[in-house]
Amino acid sequence: MRKYIYLTSNPEALVASMLPPEGFGQYLSTGTKKRNKGQAIFFEVDLDKIEKLIDIDSLNKRCVAKPDGSPKSSVYLSVYKVLEIIPLGALKSLYLTTDHGYVLELAKVVYDKSKEPQNELHLYQELCPVSPMVASSLSPSVFLKRLTDGSIPIVLPKLFFVELKLGELASNPLSGSAEHLPYPNIGHLRDCLEIIKGEYEKHMKTVHRIFAGELLYRTIDTGFYVGSGDDIVYYPYPRMSELEKINYNFFRAI
Amino acid sequence: MITSLFWIVPISALLALLFAWIFYKGMIVQEQGTSKMQEIAVYVSEGAMAYLKRQYTVVTKVFLILVILLGILAYLGIQNPFVPVAFLTGGFFSGLCGYLGMKTATAASNRTAWAASKSLNKGLQVALRSGAVMGLVVVGFGLLDIAIWFIFLNKVVFTPEHMATGLHFLGLTFVSAGTDEHQKLIEITATMLTFGMGASTQALFARVGGGIFTKAADVGADLVGKVEAGIPEDDPRNPATIADNVGDNVGDVAGMGADLYESYAGSILATAALGAALPSLTGEMQMTAIIAPMMVSAIGILLSIVGVYMVRTKESATPKALLRALLLGTGSSSAFILIVLAIMAAVNWITWGVFGAAVSGLVAGVIIGQSTEYFTSDGNAPTQGIAKQSQQGPATVIIEGMAVGMFSTWIPVVTIVAGIIAAYGFAGGFHNFAMGVYGIGFASVGMLSTLGVTLATDAFGPIADNAGGNAEMSELPAEVRERTDALDGLGNTTAATGKGFAIGSAALTALALIAAYMEEVKMWLTRLADKSPEGFKQIGETLFYHNRMPAVHDGQVAVNLATSTIKDFVGAYDISLFNPIVLGGLFIGAMMAFVFSAMSMKAVGRAAGKMVDEVRRQFREIPGIMDGSGKPEYAKCVEISTAGAQKEMMVPSLMAIAVPLIVGVIFGVPGVIGLLAGGMSTGFVLASMLNNAGGAWDNAKKYIERGNYGGKKSDCHKASIVGDTVGDPFKDTSGPALNILIKLMSMVSVVLAGLTVAFSIFG
Repeated sequence: MRKYIYLTSNPEALVASMLPPEGFGQYLSTGTKKRNKGQAIFFEVDLDKIEKLIDIDSLNKRCVAKPDGSPKSSVYLSVYKVLEIIPLGALKSLYLTTDHGYVLELAKVVYDKSKEPQNELHLYQELCPVSPMVASSLSPSVFLKRLTDGSIPIVLPKLFFVELKLGELASNPLSGSAEHLPYPNIGHLRDCLEIIKGEYEKHMKTVHRIFAGELLYRTIDTGFYVGSGDDIVYYPYPRMSELEKINYNFFRAI
Repeated sequence: MITSLFWIVPISALLALLFAWIFYKGMIVQEQGTSKMQEIAVYVSEGAMAYLKRQYTVVTKVFLILVILLGILAYLGIQNPFVPVAFLTGGFFSGLCGYLGMKTATAASNRTAWAASKSLNKGLQVALRSGAVMGLVVVGFGLLDIAIWFIFLNKVVFTPEHMATGLHFLGLTFVSAGTDEHQKLIEITATMLTFGMGASTQALFARVGGGIFTKAADVGADLVGKVEAGIPEDDPRNPATIADNVGDNVGDVAGMGADLYESYAGSILATAALGAALPSLTGEMQMTAIIAPMMVSAIGILLSIVGVYMVRTKESATPKALLRALLLGTGSSSAFILIVLAIMAAVNWITWGVFGAAVSGLVAGVIIGQSTEYFTSDGNAPTQGIAKQSQQGPATVIIEGMAVGMFSTWIPVVTIVAGIIAAYGFAGGFHNFAMGVYGIGFASVGMLSTLGVTLATDAFGPIADNAGGNAEMSELPAEVRERTDALDGLGNTTAATGKGFAIGSAALTALALIAAYMEEVKMWLTRLADKSPEGFKQIGETLFYHNRMPAVHDGQVAVNLATSTIKDFVGAYDISLFNPIVLGGLFIGAMMAFVFSAMSMKAVGRAAGKMVDEVRRQFREIPGIMDGSGKPEYAKCVEISTAGAQKEMMVPSLMAIAVPLIVGVIFGVPGVIGLLAGGMSTGFVLASMLNNAGGAWDNAKKYIERGNYGGKKSDCHKASIVGDTVGDPFKDTSGPALNILIKLMSMVSVVLAGLTVAFSIFG
């Protein structure tokens, strides 16, 4: 049976499995006995490109079919500081799963920085290795670079984050309509956005320090980003109307 | 001529049943889908039939007790001797409609899902024509029962010989000697009216029992399956999921069918009774007034069949195109019935005034249906407002939903008031009171004339819902689920309109029944005056006599029953707001609506508690249930819900029968009129409020689930779920059951009018 390598974002771990992405997503979200439920976000990793980074012998010994012939669901290869050691080129598709195990594949595309909107505010949910929600006046590529290039005291080796919808607040934090924005404490979000909009020197403001662990998939705006410095891998998120067509079960479940 | 045209009535009824059979056969030969789909359909079908079997066993016992009581009253001479039998036939045909509708609906779910796997239009055709089976058996059996009774009484019982010498059997008087032609038709229509009590009683049990069943199953499936075990709705691992699907049929097919069967029959019978009692009519004219509502209903059946066939759309139809196709079917039937009514008026079978009254009813039904759709659709401000309040949490969702429900009552109330006054005025009520109330009766007949197709679109909803459940449980491809979702959404729209129609027709029918009640009082006063040695019956200072005029003292008035009008009785019984007995009755009637609603809601809570315990037990004790290797005991959940529903429905249902009896015996006719007026007005407004608030909460949740305010799992969604849970018994148990409460109280009063007139303490 073929072996797959996955990088899960929460917990941050490198996992080997004999399950293909869809089956692995279902396994992560509902378990083999289907007694648990929970969202999962993970990348498929190109094994050929990380062979030198992992203990292949150990992988081959541990990741084998069960005595009854069924595939091995998961073998944890590494936890903690995994994202930083996996080369961006090894990342294949990104997968999102719902509580009940519906899986959506997001393919990576080349990111075109020139199309980034100017003079708009952004809301980012960092996912790995840290996970605060941050309001920022920086576009995704600049935001990523700022946090990973060492130009500010707080520096991350690599960052995986998602841009969330802000609606009218992106241009008008104080009086723009917050209709349909499900974030708790909208007043605080408005304050954060207003601060970064008003203060020239401040480009980022933490909205929430701790990620609740549940990403509301309908609030995703442009998509997911992962990278370091100028290297960026982009996973665009489809519009709802497109999602309804390409993956109705996932659309229906979110 | 009119007598020979009457044969259209039984012929139309039989045609309705023939087409119901054709639609049933057309559905049953459709492909049943995969073995998994068939297995699930069998579970639902067996559960539904087990429920019906138990329900009918319990209801049969209640019917037997009531038949014995009615028989005793008949033996005592204060009840029409045909009533026990008429009561049974009304209940029997209503129950038969429920059985056939459920059998069809449960067989249609997997076939609809499989047809939807081919195209949206194919799914629509299977679901709609299966719904049409329910619509057509309701109108078919309703009109057939009426036609059979009319022919039997007119041709077999009230023969010239029996009318001359009387008909007596087992010590009971079936026909009084010396009955004239005018009196004969009044007796026949009054007798027929009582079969409505059987239909009402059956309907109340179906609505209350069905409402409790469906919500107990729903809550059990949601609370334990979805929330605790974390498995989605319609997942075959959820032990309550089959009961949930059964509940959709029990509440929305059998319950709604029995409800509208009762309204349909009640409106025709009440109008016929009011037509027979029109004082200025005799001979052919009187017969025309009786037969006219039956004729309109008969032609409505034919147009309903045409309407079902008109619902067609392209294979690649969008959901909007489907809705247009459905509206074309129902709208065309309504338009055609207007043309037929105009022709009837042109050839003087009905007056243009009665034509106007029928149009008033039809228009009122459409407006009430549309207002329900407006207040409960998530495309409109009221429901979106509830969703918006979810940003503040569940408390404000509840407040906003209650407010929307209360506010939403203004359109139905204003519409029904305008419809009543228009029908009364068009029919000439401002000059001729009796014609006015006949017009009100005709308004309800007009509203329900195309019930065949209206109910078809209504029963379509649960069939589409079950088809979606079947597709989900059978793990059919996503595009099938997408199509069944579209059909389900369409069903939600038609269901909202259907609920508006049900409550609107209930109000008009109840009002016609109140007028018919006074005619029944008049008939019993005539009988009692004939029986009394003095030859009259004294009510207050009024002496009602029939054959010989009594001597009167100072302050007394003698009124000849043959020429008396309802207003004479109103004066004699002092039916005014200044009579404390009337006021007392009003308060009791208003209270009934609330107490009845409260009892049915509490019943849901208790039945749901047992279901929750059972589902938890199964998850705990059945190994492998979660990984699919162990099979849940679906039947056990159906059994728990069935037993809970049967136990819990008894007290509120029997209360609806007992209270009019008690009020009649204690407070007499004025108390009963107050009770019926209070019950009707409060029940109508409360039912509108409960239905609309519940529907709006439900759709506010769905609005959020479509991605607004964060979509599923957001805090707003959690708040909206609270609103939806509160609204469930509002819209599916208490609200719909109030329709029947107000009609059943009227029916019981009509049937027990003899007892009230003869034995009341204060009246």
